[in-house]
Amino acid sequence: MNPLASIIMSSTLISGTLITLISSHWLMAWMGLEMNMFAIIPMIMKNNSPRAIEAATKYFLIQASASMLLLMAASLNFMYSGQWTLTEMNVSMASLIMLIAMLMKLGMAPFHFWVPEVTQGTVLLTSLIILTWQKLAPLAILFQIAPSINVNIILTTAILSILIGGWGGLNQTQLRKIMAYSSIAHMGWMAAVMIYNPTLMLLNLLLYLIFTFSAFTILIKCSSTSTSMLTMTWNSYPLMVSVLLIILLSMGGLPPLTGFVPKWLIIYELIKNTNIAMTLTMSILALLNLFFYLRLIYASSLTLFPTSSNLKFKWKINTPNKMYFLPTMVSISLLFLPVSPMILMLN
Amino acid sequence: MALAPKLLTGIHGLGKCQMPSAISCLFLGPRFAGYCSSSLQKTAAAPNKALDPQGKSGRDLQSPHRREAALDIPSPDEKPEVSFDKAIRDEIKDHFRRLKDEFVNHWIGPEGRPLHEVMLEQAKVVWQFRGKEDLDKWVVTSDKTIGGRSEVFLKMGKNNQSALLYGNLSSEAPLDGDSGHSGYCAMISRVPRGSFERKKSYDWSQFNTLYLRVRGDGRPWMVNLREDTDIIQKHNQMYSYFMFTRGGPYWQEVKIPFSKFFFSNQGRIRDAQFQLLLDKISSIGLTLADKVDGPFFLEIDFIGVFTDPAHTEEFAYENSPALNPRLFR
Repeated sequence: MNPLASIIMSSTLISGTLITLISSHWLMAWMGLEMNMFAIIPMIMKNNSPRAIEAATKYFLIQASASMLLLMAASLNFMYSGQWTLTEMNVSMASLIMLIAMLMKLGMAPFHFWVPEVTQGTVLLTSLIILTWQKLAPLAILFQIAPSINVNIILTTAILSILIGGWGGLNQTQLRKIMAYSSIAHMGWMAAVMIYNPTLMLLNLLLYLIFTFSAFTILIKCSSTSTSMLTMTWNSYPLMVSVLLIILLSMGGLPPLTGFVPKWLIIYELIKNTNIAMTLTMSILALLNLFFYLRLIYASSLTLFPTSSNLKFKWKINTPNKMYFLPTMVSISLLFLPVSPMILMLN
Repeated sequence: MALAPKLLTGIHGLGKCQMPSAISCLFLGPRFAGYCSSSLQKTAAAPNKALDPQGKSGRDLQSPHRREAALDIPSPDEKPEVSFDKAIRDEIKDHFRRLKDEFVNHWIGPEGRPLHEVMLEQAKVVWQFRGKEDLDKWVVTSDKTIGGRSEVFLKMGKNNQSALLYGNLSSEAPLDGDSGHSGYCAMISRVPRGSFERKKSYDWSQFNTLYLRVRGDGRPWMVNLREDTDIIQKHNQMYSYFMFTRGGPYWQEVKIPFSKFFFSNQGRIRDAQFQLLLDKISSIGLTLADKVDGPFFLEIDFIGVFTDPAHTEEFAYENSPALNPRLFR
């Protein structure tokens, strides 16, 4: 893309999210979300293939409908309560419609169908932005309206998202679709704890962003979009496969890695609020996620995949893709568990 | 919606193509007014004793032919059971059974096979012609739908080892004041359907070459691949390449790498070319439109996909800034 165009798109993307994060008026929040959406559409269509245009169309349709629902909810709230403040969502119908709008924006079940299609349809960097940066603004809105969210709906959505995120990712060979289903499942975990302890949701979000960012950085560096390409990565970037192993195990929630911290704290919070059945179901369904991460690890680092000999030994050519902050992210993914008493204290 | 033709016919027990062409026109569009191969067999009229009092010897002579032609029609002794409720119940049970199979297959792996088997697979036969049920997966169409005069038929070949696509191509334009050109025949695979008639697609991302075992008559055919899409405008887009057949008694193995397929929209090859992405292939088609009038035939043994490790090309065509400045901005 033209450098000027890409600067404008990136700055609109960043400022849109920041406007939503700092706003206290519903219309400002809506404006930030719209700026965000308009900025990312050309980024999705950057490589101009029919698949990318289909992905951009689907993304636009979903996000525009969700923005319309947001505006309707805000207007309903104004009609019944007479104010536009973000945190004062007292009308139950408005809160319900707002929740549905945010669920659509985040790609949570049962509005998750667009996430794998859009993530698969575009390049790795744009998929990274869709799965990380685009979650910030809707989650910020949910954080602020958390006291008035309908408990039954959010918990149903959470359990459905974890189920569908785990079930859908089981048979994928395309890495972007795997990351999309992983995102749906993680959103489910965040939604489950939102009504009980929104701070834990933010912790889960922060750690999820770090893991996803690291995983995508490795995939971008290795330029691999499918599992079969990943099986050949040990040849050109042997250290990357070990790092990917750590990050994927961390995403799966295995102690003593960092990924265990949000899951443990969420389970603890849910049990404190006597929601045992849901906790049990969520923990069991998290195993589905762990299964397909383990399969990726198995294919990339634990086993040598059979292939013809001309592919085994490659010339080591450094790709120009940069790995931004990867060492920092990996250290956090690996070693953050001992810091958890501090997090518990801050709670 | 796809249950509607079956409901309209309301006949239970016939396991064949149940879509008469009028209804298929309504639902699939005039472009696709395909007729099943099996419905093309000439059906003999039932002998009417009242109208033909003295044709006994004639009837005797004709009866072996009538018996041969009427193999597909159930004999007058077995009446087809006409029951609307039973048809609906069986249909619903069938769809739920397919849904249950989909869940079980999803647990096992993609397409019901374990993932390691799918990932390590290097060759796969996707369509083969060994029986009548294999012909039902294809639709033949020609310019008869727009008023032309080409005819095309599909039947099983000798010993049920291949399928024979034959007919007569005529490039006489239809006299509708609109079309200037005509003359095409095509054989298109049906889109695979899952439970509740949901569209499924083929995932050929492990493979990189298309393999066809055919025996033709020297005519050039075009192989078209369509992608699965939710957007209605993308139904006009397809990726094509040529298949040149050699006439002759020997079977011909045609290998077309997927990197060679070029992109066209609404029948026109576009300046902006894109690589064929293999993870959502919906259907394959073989088209004959070489402007040569006359009969044609193509015998097809099977169509498959495989990985050619020597083929490392990703895409054979490039976009030029002269033709498409928009792509290079």
